[in-house]
Amino acid sequence: MKNRNRLRVAILLSLPLAGCSTVGIKPWQRDILARPEMALDANPVDTAFDEHLYFSKEATGGGRGFGGGGCGCN
Amino acid sequence: MQLKRRPGAGNLRTGLMAATCALLAPAVKAQVPAVEDNGDLNKIDAGLLYYQEDGGRVRSIDAIVKLNHDFGDERVFGMTVAVDSLSGGSPNGAVPQKYAQTFSTPSGKTLQPGVPEDEGKLYTIAPGRQPLDPNFRDLRVAGDLTWSQPLGIGNKVAADGHLSAEHDFLSASGSLQFSRDFNSKNTTLGAGVSLELDQVRPSGDVPVAGSDYTLLQKDGSHDNKHVLGAQLGVTQVLARNWIAQLNFSLDNSGGYLNDPYKILSRVDASGAATGYFFESRPDTRQRRSLYLGNKVALGGSVLDLSYRYGWDDWGIASHTIEARYRLRIGGAMYLEPHLRWYRQDAADFYRLYLTGADPLTGSMSSDPRLAAFTAKTVGLKLGMPLANGDEIAIRLEGYQQDARDRSSALPALSGLDLNPRLRAAVLQLDWRFGF
Repeated sequence: MKNRNRLRVAILLSLPLAGCSTVGIKPWQRDILARPEMALDANPVDTAFDEHLYFSKEATGGGRGFGGGGCGCN
Repeated sequence: MQLKRRPGAGNLRTGLMAATCALLAPAVKAQVPAVEDNGDLNKIDAGLLYYQEDGGRVRSIDAIVKLNHDFGDERVFGMTVAVDSLSGGSPNGAVPQKYAQTFSTPSGKTLQPGVPEDEGKLYTIAPGRQPLDPNFRDLRVAGDLTWSQPLGIGNKVAADGHLSAEHDFLSASGSLQFSRDFNSKNTTLGAGVSLELDQVRPSGDVPVAGSDYTLLQKDGSHDNKHVLGAQLGVTQVLARNWIAQLNFSLDNSGGYLNDPYKILSRVDASGAATGYFFESRPDTRQRRSLYLGNKVALGGSVLDLSYRYGWDDWGIASHTIEARYRLRIGGAMYLEPHLRWYRQDAADFYRLYLTGADPLTGSMSSDPRLAAFTAKTVGLKLGMPLANGDEIAIRLEGYQQDARDRSSALPALSGLDLNPRLRAAVLQLDWRFGF
């Protein structure tokens, strides 16, 4: 039952990205996405500090991308 | 088509990179800090952070410096050095009692007071207080090297190596990531693998898991663990002002997964402690997570909204919702409020304390980090971009963690807060510049 619920969550999360081969913009429309603050990780130092804090205080870690390695804090 | 670095090409290159980064986004994008590209080949991102918990608990000062060098043609080298200095009190896992309790620091050899060679190693907890080991002190130094480059047309590959050392823990890890663009670079698929090898070298040696704490039985000076990770991700441009990413991550850990400094209290029918035991966790753990992130430009402002669902075979499922809103104020300055909400279940083998009915074999832990709790973060960042593309920023955050199970009806424990609220404040200074 738990696995079926997880599958439902996965499908729901994927819906926005379904049919992605027809979604998108033209190359000349990338001006807004080109802004530095639109990068998916625009503040890597903030992310590094936050990931370390949450890794050492919580049981679930990462998920955004590969972390910088382990620490003895968890 | 090769894009050679030339004046004015900055925006086009950055634009294409923004549209082609996938799950690599944090790892690979992290190679190129998001400052205005003014043609600097070297970019440095430095941060200094002060972290303080309330109630005499952990305090740390962390410094990090990230350097990126652009060799041209989207080949980027990155280096990170981080230093963390920690001190303060850390919960040892035992529950408060209505009388004073005495424990030994991990390097102590006895719980008997008055033994000369163990002088100063015993600590006494006042009645009603959560047992904290006040001698928690550590210095961690870590270094990372990363390299990313195109591979053929529309593909990108990145590699990362990491080493870190603290007085009781060594870690080495590496990862390899690959991404490919589709659909006129509106879609990027990425995959990566990682391996981490750790050695735990506890102060006072490795305790025998699940054994009677008062005997202070140890078995060897160190033990090892490894973590194998993999990630699949897709990034999709959904609109001119909206990019999203969906990542599925998994990691499998094996080896020594205990916290060597954590114990559990065993109480009788009245709630009075009759003994203490070293914790014992399974020697494997499988974790999975699904992460959905979004970046949406709203006029001159940017909304970052994400959700993560995590689960593992220890029985811990979690939800994380996080939002940041970067609001442009006066010129190029910005204010960025931050909200995060997190909830996790307890591990199957988590116990606030052991009773006479609980077996002393098998997995058991009172580590508050494995308990069921809700955590909230509220923060605010002020950023001041400078004329030449540099930026300074200051960030203030508050973190609060509230456990679900904090009390007991047993008479000797009634009225005591068995897992007090954790509150922490963070102050961070950031400086970003290029040359």
